[in-house]
Amino acid sequence: MNQERRLTFVLLAAAALAVLVAAGVITVLIDRGEGGGPSSQQQPLPERVAGELRLFGPDPITLDPALAADVGSATYIVEIFSGLVTFDKDLNIVPDIAERWEVSADGRTYTFRLRRGVLFHDGSRMVTAQDFKYSMERALNPRTGSTVALTYLGDIVGARDFARGRAQEVTGIKVIDDFTLQITIDAPKSYFLAKLTYPTAYVVKREQVEGNPRGWTRQPIGTGPFKLREWRLGERIVLEPNPDYYLEPKPSLSRVTFLLAGGSPLTMYENGEVDVAPVGINDIERVRDPRDPLNREMKQVAELATYYIGFNVRRPPFNDPRVRRALAMAIDKDALARVVLRDLAVPAKGILPPGIPGHNPNLQGLPFDPQEARRLLMEAGGPQILQDVTLLVSGVGGTPGPVIEAIQAMWEQHLGVRPRIQQVEFATFLQQVDRGQFDMMTLGWIADYLDPEDFLDILFHSQSLDNRTGYTNPEVDRLLEQARTMPTDTEEARQARLRIYQQAEQIIVQDSPWIPLLHPRSAYVVKPHVQGYFVPPLVMEHLRYVRLER
Amino acid sequence: MTPPQEGMLPAPGAWGRLLRRRLAVASLMVIVVIYGAGILAPWLAPHSFREIDLANTFAGPSLEHPLGTDRLGRDVLSRLMWSAQTTVIISASSLLLGGLLWGTGLGLLAGYLGGRVDNIIMRLGDILASLPDILLLLIITATVRPRVTDFFRDVERWTGLEGIVESGAPDYILVFAALSLFGWVGMARIVRSQVLALRESEYVLAARALGASSLHIILRHLLPNVSHLMVVAATQLLGTAAGAEVVLSFLGIGIQPPHPSFGSMIFEAAGPRNMLAHPHLIFAPAAVVGALLMAFSFLGDALNDALSPRRR
Amino acid sequence: MGRDQLWSYILRRLLWIPFILLTVSLVTFALGRFGPGDPVRVLAGQRADLETIQRIRQERGLDDNFFVQYARYLRGIFRGDLGISFKYYGLPVTEVVLPRLWVTFQYNLAALVLIFALGIPAGIWAATQQGTWRDPLIMGTLLALAALPAVLVVPLLQYIFSLRLGWLPTGGWEVREFFGWLEVGLFSKTIVLPMLALGLPGAAGVARLTRAQTLEVLEEDYVRTARAKGLRERVVLMRHVLRNALLPLATLMGFAMAALLSGSIILETLLGIPGIGSYAFEAVFARDYDGIMAIVLIAATAFVVANLVVDIAYAFIDPRVRLEGKPQS
Repeated sequence: MNQERRLTFVLLAAAALAVLVAAGVITVLIDRGEGGGPSSQQQPLPERVAGELRLFGPDPITLDPALAADVGSATYIVEIFSGLVTFDKDLNIVPDIAERWEVSADGRTYTFRLRRGVLFHDGSRMVTAQDFKYSMERALNPRTGSTVALTYLGDIVGARDFARGRAQEVTGIKVIDDFTLQITIDAPKSYFLAKLTYPTAYVVKREQVEGNPRGWTRQPIGTGPFKLREWRLGERIVLEPNPDYYLEPKPSLSRVTFLLAGGSPLTMYENGEVDVAPVGINDIERVRDPRDPLNREMKQVAELATYYIGFNVRRPPFNDPRVRRALAMAIDKDALARVVLRDLAVPAKGILPPGIPGHNPNLQGLPFDPQEARRLLMEAGGPQILQDVTLLVSGVGGTPGPVIEAIQAMWEQHLGVRPRIQQVEFATFLQQVDRGQFDMMTLGWIADYLDPEDFLDILFHSQSLDNRTGYTNPEVDRLLEQARTMPTDTEEARQARLRIYQQAEQIIVQDSPWIPLLHPRSAYVVKPHVQGYFVPPLVMEHLRYVRLER
Repeated sequence: MTPPQEGMLPAPGAWGRLLRRRLAVASLMVIVVIYGAGILAPWLAPHSFREIDLANTFAGPSLEHPLGTDRLGRDVLSRLMWSAQTTVIISASSLLLGGLLWGTGLGLLAGYLGGRVDNIIMRLGDILASLPDILLLLIITATVRPRVTDFFRDVERWTGLEGIVESGAPDYILVFAALSLFGWVGMARIVRSQVLALRESEYVLAARALGASSLHIILRHLLPNVSHLMVVAATQLLGTAAGAEVVLSFLGIGIQPPHPSFGSMIFEAAGPRNMLAHPHLIFAPAAVVGALLMAFSFLGDALNDALSPRRR
Repeated sequence: MGRDQLWSYILRRLLWIPFILLTVSLVTFALGRFGPGDPVRVLAGQRADLETIQRIRQERGLDDNFFVQYARYLRGIFRGDLGISFKYYGLPVTEVVLPRLWVTFQYNLAALVLIFALGIPAGIWAATQQGTWRDPLIMGTLLALAALPAVLVVPLLQYIFSLRLGWLPTGGWEVREFFGWLEVGLFSKTIVLPMLALGLPGAAGVARLTRAQTLEVLEEDYVRTARAKGLRERVVLMRHVLRNALLPLATLMGFAMAALLSGSIILETLLGIPGIGSYAFEAVFARDYDGIMAIVLIAATAFVVANLVVDIAYAFIDPRVRLEGKPQS
C-alpha cells in the first residue's frame, strides 16, 4: 500500500538520522579516549596551541574605534589598534605612536612628533599624521554614527562645528608634515591628553575603511600589539601577535583566545580549560582561605568606579537636603560591603574612588547613624513624605540584587519608609532618567580617564549634560570651573588643582545629591604558568606584558 | 499533553474512579497544601519575607528557620509561602480572565455561530499562536510596563486608595493579562470542537425548533456539556500559568521585590557557582514549584481519564 | 479525497501565510517604535550627548514617519536585506542572525531525534506493560518530566551532571570544523545538556501519545485478524501503531520546530549558548529593532510553515479527515 511505503520511508529516514548522530557521538567519545590519533583530523575548536592564553571576555558591540562607547568593545580595540598616547602599567600617560610632544605656552596647542616606521597590520605602509587627521575626523563625522566622539574629541577647536555638519574639516587638527601633528583645543584643559588614550582617538587605515564601510571591522587592519585572527559573533575572539609592533615589551604570546559565551568560568579554570577566571561572590571566601589551593593564584584589583544612589533633586521631597541625608545615614555601607558583598567592595564615603588622583582619605562623609537619620527625617516632615517614592533600578532578572534589597530593608528598619523598587531594563531606565522621571535611581560610574574632572565636573556641574540629579550649587560650579584650566606643569600646581577638587567634593558630599555606596573590587585567579597578567583598573592594552612559562 | 477525549457527558461514577487513583489524590493534596500555604501566608508564615538579618546569612536549617536563611538572612520557608501566594494570584487570575472567560466564551461563539465569526476567532488564534510568546512578552513588558505602572499611580491618586502600586498589583495584572493573551487559544479550540459535535445533536435541534434563542441554547445546553472538558483544561491552564509565572519572574517580568516568587527565588540561587556553594537555596523553591507543576500534570491526566467515557 | 480539493486547500493555506507574517511584523515593528527606549541612546551609555544622539537618529532614519520606516523595512526584506544591527553596531543583521540560527537549529535537531528515538519505543513498551506495576510508574515519570519547564530542568541537570559528576561542561558551545568552514557542534559534549533539557520533556509527551495509540491499536479488529493470520505480534504492532501515531506525532513535531524560539531563550541564557534565543534576549534590551524583527519573522515563518506542512501531511495521509477541522462523524 502507498501509505505503508510512505510510512516505512519516513521511519527509515528517522532511523538513519538517529544512527548518524549516534555514530558521531561514539566517534567523539572514542576520539577523546585515544587522546587523538590519525582519526582526529577534526579538533574541537578553538584548538589549543603552544603559547596560547585562553580566557573569558566580554561580548563586544563593535570593533570600530570610532564607535566604541562601552568597556566590552574597548577591551579588544586597545589591543588591535593604537593611538598617540597610551598608559603604562602604573597608569602614567606615555608615548605610543607619538614619540614625543610639546605643549604651547598657553596650554592649548599640542604638537605631536610621530614615530617613523609604525606599520599597519597588513604591512602595506607607515602611519602618517594624515592618517590621524582622517581617523579623528571620521570619528567626529555624523555619518559615522559615533555616540561618543564629542565626549573625547569635542575640546578640539572646530570639532563641534564639524560634527554639526557646519564645516568641511576640523580646523584644530593640523598636519604639519608626514610625521608631525598639531592639535589645538579650546582652553588649556590638562585632562585632554588623558582623553586621547581612549579608542576614539585611535588611527584606522583609510583605504580599508573606505573600501569596505560595512564589513571592515570583521578583519580590521590596525596598528596595535595584536591582530584580529577571528571574530565569531557572540562566540569567540582570537588575537595573534603583531610582529611589527614598535613598543617594548613586544607581545610574546602566540595567541589569545577570548571565549564570549560559555559555562562557568571558574569551573572551566579548575578543569584547566581557561587560564584566567574571575572569582565571584560565591567562591571568594573559599579562595581567600590560605588553605585553599586557589588562594596562591588569586589577585585582587580595585575598580575605579563608584556605585551610588542618585536623587532627583528637583522633585520634592528630595529637594530638601535633610531628607537626602536621612536616607544616606540610614544605610549601613559597611555591612553591605562586608556581609552582602563579602568584601568584594569597599564602602564609599565620597564620589572619587581610591586610585583617582584627588581621592581624599580624610573626607568627611555621612556616617551610618540611624538615630540622627530619624531625627532629620522627622524634622523634614516625617516618614509620610516618603510614602510614594520609587527607586529606579536598571536590570533584567528575577531580583535587582542583594545590595538593593538590603538597602530597601535597612530603610524600612531604621526609618520606617518603604520605597518601591522599580526594575526596568536599561533602555527604559536611560529614557526615564534623561527625562527626569524618577525619584531615586541607582547606577555606577566608571572612570574613563584618571582625573577627578571625569567624576566631579561631568556629574555635578550644573550645566553639565551628564548631571542627572539636577544638582546646582554655585560654589561648586565656581570651584569646578576654576580647576578646569589650572596649570599642571609642576607637582605643586597639580596638588593645588587637586585640592580645589577636594573642596568641591566635600561640599557635594554634605549636600548629598548622591548617596555614594560602594567602590567595587574584583578578584580573579591566574594559572601559575601565566606571568605578567594583570587586570588593569582602566581599560588599556595589557596583553603584551604576559608571558607563558611552561 | 493528551487532549481530552471528545464525546459525551461524563460517565457516572467519575468521582469514584478519580479518587481511587492514589496518584491523583496525592496530587490534589499537594496542590491544596501549596495553594493553601499561599493563601494563608500572611498568617502562617513564621517570619516576614522582607526582613533581613545580616548577622545570620546562609544559615542552615534550625528550629528558628526550618529551611535556613538566604543571602540576606531572610527566612526561606516564609519566602516560599509568600511565593506560593504569588503563584496563586497569577494562576487564578489568568485562569479566570484568560482561560475561562475568553477561552470558553470565544470557543462557544466560534463553535455555535460558525461561519465568519468562527473564521475570525480561529484566525486570530492562529496569529497569536504564531507569535513567539516569550519574546513578545519581553518586548511588551519592556515597553508597556512603565505605562501601566503610571496608570495605576494615577488611579491611586484619583480614588485615594493607597498602596495599590506598592502591593505589586500592576505587575500582577500585567503578567496575567499577558498570559491570558496567549492562554485563551487552547481552551477555545477544545470548547469549539466539542460544540461543533454537539451542535447537531437532538436536543439542540429540538430547542431550536421550539424557538429558543442562540444565547439560551449556548448557556443552557452547550455550556453544561462542555464543563467537563473545561475542568480538565482548567487544570492544565493552572499548571501552565504557574509554570509560565516561574519563567517570567525569572526573566524579571512580573512581581517586583521584595515580594518573592518562585521564579525570582530560583533566579537568586541559580548559576553553577551559586548552586555549588548553596544548593539548598535552589532546591527549596525548585522542589516546591516542581512538585506543584507535576501535581497539576498528574491531576489533569487523572481527570481526563475519570471524566471520559472510555476507561484506560 | 480528490486531487483538486487537496490543491485548493494547500493554496488557501499558502495565501494565508503572508497575511500572518505581515500582521506579525507590523505588530512587532509598532511595539518597537512606539515603546520607550532608543537604541542609539543605549549605545551611548551613560555619557549622553543628546545632540549627537539626535543627529544619529536622523541619519539612520529613526525619526521618520512610522509608515515610511515600515515601508522602507519591507522593501529591504524583498531585497534580502534584513537591516543593520544595533546590538552589534553597524553589522548587517543577516551576518549576525544566521550563525546563531545554525547553533540553535543543531541542538533542537538533536533534541528532536532524542524525543522520537526515546519516546516512541518507551511508549510502545509502556503499553505492553499495561496492567503491571510498571505502567503507572513509567507514566508517572513521564508525566512528571513533561511538566517541568526548562528553568527548572536546566539547573537540575547542570547540578547533577556538570557540577557533581563532572561528566559534562557547565555550558557553552564547542564546535568542530568540517571542510574548513562548517562549524558543527553536534558532536561535542556541550550539546548534551540542551539536548536533554529539551528532549526529555518532549520524549515524555511523545511516549504518552504513543502509548495511548498503541493501546487503541491493540484492541482494533484488524490487529486481531492479523494475529489470527499468524503474523508476528511485534510486526503487527509496530506497523499499525506507527501509522496511527504518525498524525499526532507529526503535529507534535510541527509544534516543536515552531517552538524553537521560545524554549531557546531561557535555555541559551542559562547555559551560555550563542544561539538565536540568547541573541533575542540581548536584542530586546539593546533595542536592536532590525534584529528583533528578523527573529520574530523567522520564528513566525517556521511556525506557520511547520503547521502547514503538518496539516497537508495530515490530509494527504489520512483521507478520512475533512479539512475544515470538523471532527469526523
